[in-house]
Amino acid sequence: MVSSAGGLLAMLNESHPSLKLHALSNLNSFVDQFWPEISTSVPIIESLYEDEEFDQHQRQLAALLVSKVFYYLGELNDSLSYALGAGSLFDVSEDSDYVHTLLAKAIDEYASIKSKAAESNDEAANVDPRLEAIVERMLDKCITDGKYQQAMGIAIECRRLDKLEEAITRSDNVHGTLSYCINVSHSFVNRREYRREVLRLLVKVYQKLPSPDYLSICQCLMFLDEPEGVVSILEKLLRSENKDDALLAFQIAFDLVENEHQAFLLNVRDHLPVPKTQPLQTVQPGSNDPPSAQNDSSTAEDVQMNEGTPASNVNVQDEDPKEVIYAERLNKIKGILSGETSIQLTLQFLYSHNKSDLLILKTIKQSVEMRNSVCHSATIYANAIMHAGTTVDTFLRENLDWLSRATNWAKFSATAGLGVIHRGHLQQGRSLMAPYLPQGGAGGGGSPYSEGGALYALGLIHANHGEGIKQFLRDSLRSTNVEVIQHGACLGLGLAALGTADEDIYDDIKNVLYTDSAVAGEAAGISMGLLMVGTASEKAGEMLTYAHETQHEKIIRGLALGIALTVYGREEEADTLIEQMTRDQDPILRYGGMYALALAYSGTANNKAIRQLLHFAVSDVSDDVRRTAVLALGFVLYSEPEQTPRIVSLLSESYNPHVRYGAALAVGISCAGTGLSEAISLLEPLTSDVVDFVRQGALIAMAMVMVQINEANDSRVGTFRRQLEKIILDKHEDTMSKMGAILASGILDAGGRNVTIRLLSKTKHDKITAVVGLSVFSQFWYWYPLIYFISLAFSPTALIGLNYDLKVPRFEFLSHAKPSLFEYPKPTTVPTTTSAVKLPAAVLSTSAKAKARAKKEAEQKEKEKATAEKTDSSSAGKGKSSNEKDGDSMQVDAPPEKKAEPEPSFEILINPARVVPAQEKFIKFLEDSRYVPVKSAPSGFVLLRDLRPNEPEVLSLTDAPSSTQSPAGGGSTTGQQGSASAMAVDEEPQPPAPFEYTS
Amino acid sequence: MDPKLTEVSQQFDRFKAAMTRKDYNTCTQLLSQLKVLLTGFRSLPPLFEDTPNAICELTLASKYSSLSFKLTMIWDIYEHAVLLSVKVEDQDAFERDFFQLKPYYTDAGKRLPPSPNEYMILGLNLLRLLVQNRIAEFHTELELLSSTALENPCIKHAVELEQSFMEGAYNRVLSAKQNVPNETYGYFMDLLAKTVRDEIAGCSEKAYDYLSIKDAGQMLLFTSDQELLEYVKEEHPEWEMKDGFVFFQKAKDSAPCKEIPSLQLINQTLSYARELERIV
Repeated sequence: MVSSAGGLLAMLNESHPSLKLHALSNLNSFVDQFWPEISTSVPIIESLYEDEEFDQHQRQLAALLVSKVFYYLGELNDSLSYALGAGSLFDVSEDSDYVHTLLAKAIDEYASIKSKAAESNDEAANVDPRLEAIVERMLDKCITDGKYQQAMGIAIECRRLDKLEEAITRSDNVHGTLSYCINVSHSFVNRREYRREVLRLLVKVYQKLPSPDYLSICQCLMFLDEPEGVVSILEKLLRSENKDDALLAFQIAFDLVENEHQAFLLNVRDHLPVPKTQPLQTVQPGSNDPPSAQNDSSTAEDVQMNEGTPASNVNVQDEDPKEVIYAERLNKIKGILSGETSIQLTLQFLYSHNKSDLLILKTIKQSVEMRNSVCHSATIYANAIMHAGTTVDTFLRENLDWLSRATNWAKFSATAGLGVIHRGHLQQGRSLMAPYLPQGGAGGGGSPYSEGGALYALGLIHANHGEGIKQFLRDSLRSTNVEVIQHGACLGLGLAALGTADEDIYDDIKNVLYTDSAVAGEAAGISMGLLMVGTASEKAGEMLTYAHETQHEKIIRGLALGIALTVYGREEEADTLIEQMTRDQDPILRYGGMYALALAYSGTANNKAIRQLLHFAVSDVSDDVRRTAVLALGFVLYSEPEQTPRIVSLLSESYNPHVRYGAALAVGISCAGTGLSEAISLLEPLTSDVVDFVRQGALIAMAMVMVQINEANDSRVGTFRRQLEKIILDKHEDTMSKMGAILASGILDAGGRNVTIRLLSKTKHDKITAVVGLSVFSQFWYWYPLIYFISLAFSPTALIGLNYDLKVPRFEFLSHAKPSLFEYPKPTTVPTTTSAVKLPAAVLSTSAKAKARAKKEAEQKEKEKATAEKTDSSSAGKGKSSNEKDGDSMQVDAPPEKKAEPEPSFEILINPARVVPAQEKFIKFLEDSRYVPVKSAPSGFVLLRDLRPNEPEVLSLTDAPSSTQSPAGGGSTTGQQGSASAMAVDEEPQPPAPFEYTS
Repeated sequence: MDPKLTEVSQQFDRFKAAMTRKDYNTCTQLLSQLKVLLTGFRSLPPLFEDTPNAICELTLASKYSSLSFKLTMIWDIYEHAVLLSVKVEDQDAFERDFFQLKPYYTDAGKRLPPSPNEYMILGLNLLRLLVQNRIAEFHTELELLSSTALENPCIKHAVELEQSFMEGAYNRVLSAKQNVPNETYGYFMDLLAKTVRDEIAGCSEKAYDYLSIKDAGQMLLFTSDQELLEYVKEEHPEWEMKDGFVFFQKAKDSAPCKEIPSLQLINQTLSYARELERIV
């Protein structure tokens, strides 16, 4: 090797062209080593490049050389422009840093030009054709090399849908690439419009495939809001001869339901074509042999719908058998689409698997001072959250006396709490609440607070599935002028008609708003937002105007949140409105602007939104706005929970307690249910902050993060539980943080320990209801009853397998992990352990006595229950419990006493089973099983294909207690279960005995 | 044997013949062709590939020439090229050729015997740098030389010249012309006088406001006023000649110092302070 490029550089000045060429080509191969020497001669080489007399090849060579030198000098822009001049000599396939860097640069450049052009709608963007050529060469190379993912990424980035299509169709695994592409388009395509274009293309490609993946198509169509496409697919599948196709259709329906897009689902349902010769008689038997649940649930609307076509009622006995099958399947799918089937099954699952620990509540109840109404109602909230959706209201019924201390608004929320507990109890919701509902006309003895609360409760029960209850709520709203009842009715109506954009309801609520009553107006504002979620309708302008007119801060706040809700998920479309709100004089409207930013960009991790929020978080003059700005980060970032702790870590050390509070909740929201270690580390110091409300926020946030995480996963969960207990028992603790601790214990064990907080569905779509629920929940700072909105964000962590009849057959599958990793937290009932855990010094004699008493009571009860159980003739109860027994015995040998024995590394779960999010990756389906899942999803509703349809099926969840026999024999010994309370109640819980308030 | 090799050695023979004839035009042409021919040899710098006939290429040893014990080293061609450029008094060509020659000295040590003319050429190059007043490069080159090389009279000559030049002992520089180690040095020694003059002119410009023409002529080593006048006209048109004096005044209007962008700096600092206050 030579030690200097001097000779070659000197040769550049030679007069003979072939000498120059020789020098150039040699320099080109030595540039990696001698670029510092060459850099001084760049002007000479440049002049060679510009020399018109030189032949083309030589000029390109010169350009390539200059480009390389500039690359080494770090002048990438110059380097790129010369590389473009090098034409074909710039070899995209070369494996060197230079080529990689410049390619990246070129693609970036191209992508930014293209997207800028697209944003300004400038068709004739002048892209350097040479640049385009390089990018295309790169794309072609990726495709020919089989690097389809790269090609797709580049194509999407550069807005080259033609190339994207090529990459997908030419790839060897079209399904894989398509699903990859969907993922990419959701996580990396920032502009909504463009994402829609990509998805439209994907749907096109999907439909061209010989065996289309209907599941994914329908997901795309849902995002595109094109119900017609889904309808035609579903109809095709339902009309198919093959039973499997029908199963697939059901699976699609379940997956759509999971995304909670009510308006869309209703659209699909209503557009499904009615069977041609469908007399009513055929429907009735058709809907009778599917489970009675089906029948119950769908009666409300289906009957109405059928009544719409009574003309065909009379004639024809000789219907086409195909149509009969279709009609039957149609009925099922309508049930699914309206959400009733899944709600029904979820309800059964939550009820049967309820593991909530009543002792925790009892401890709280006893340690809270009677006169402290905040903590008193916090306990009621905690109870509601703990039993959300389980229909278990034992605690309330056992403590009627204590409960009756709730007065006024506390009574409102106590009643509304029933709604949370019975969430999804669609058929009996109304009868459950009947005792508290306003009695039409009769004047009624009930207090307006409990009546209002009952209406709110109805909304919570029917949240996002309010078909059946809307009318009733509207009537109640119209027939009253008591503002407390109006408040409850507005909230209820908003919840029930979530996102339906129903004009009539909107007008009713608007009338309430215009009465300009602070209490009712606030609820009306929120309710309008709930009604119009994500529609970006021009109603927002109307609301904004009124917000400027009214004097009541409460109304302004309600409206501000309402306006924010209307722009949910609209991203750039919302920018004008956000701008308008964030520049407002009124801090409350700016505060609404923060929510608008949060919701419009929810889950997008959009950089612009994050920047804006951070700016407000540090620059706004109002503490409320700052707090909300930080909190809003949680919503924007929930799709990438790992990011949040990093982004807010500085803010969590702010001198301003409001900002710290916001940081805590932001982490709580975005990392909810993940148990993310960084999140916990960030929250830990905040739980012992000097300011009481920061502690409150941190405790709640911590509970949200740790929901369903047990000690085996993260030892800090245990520490946190003990910390909560300590705060609750401590007499000198501030009310604020005590309340936080009580709520946190509720959230930690939410829904009988069988739900988590999830803002994304399994297909990575936003769950509207959940996001809306959390955003309104975060409003509890101003209005405690809004705490209940958190129940909207709960999603059961279960794998529920269903057969063709939408029943739950007995089906086993494997969780390939140690059972202890994901088991329920140990109940605190065992007397020895609880006392051991507690610090002896901290226990006061009185509370210890109370404890002992409580324990004694509990044991007493347990005994009673056990006996009650034995006498209980409900065979279904036995069947279910026997299942649980089986589940226990299947854990081979993990009773806690035998610690010496090694734990098995797997666990057999029985349908329906609790599968926590972290466990999902360990779920495996057994190969020799009777049932094969249509889609191998680790959780949620999975349709099962029966491989042995002739054998009698054994069902494990039974919905009609009287009709089914105890399946697996040997359900005789139903020993004491940790959470025996669940067992004590009848299979179909009765409405609680109406209790009287003594106010 | 490789016909290309034979061609090169024949060309080179012709070139040397022309050189002795002092037919420099032919020389330049032949040289250019030679260089183009050499680019075809892959064993030459910068590649130094080990091709089978590398030795032949490096030594230009055709069968014919080896028989006659007439080994021609490859660097011989470039040395001749350098000498030619001195003869035709072309400094650029000198630089080019020297740089092309240099890799043979520095990097081909293992393959080729050292050239007897190496130090002479190197000294010549040093001298050239001195003439062109490129002192920095002069020292760079010097640092690359070994201590034995520094002992060589050719190199020593250049080094001593530089020292005198730096000291300002211009008369010593000029007198050194008499004892050049090699006759090719003559050309550069002539040029050196001019470099010295430029240097003196530069100094006097700074040192004096004006000088009498007589003094100036003496100082700039001119023998007649006429020569001085021509020199001033050509090299320093900004000098003013009047009343028998040379005024350097004009050139002294030095450019004003660069202004410090104080306002901008203040603004920036203030904004930093503001941001700092705001941060969390």
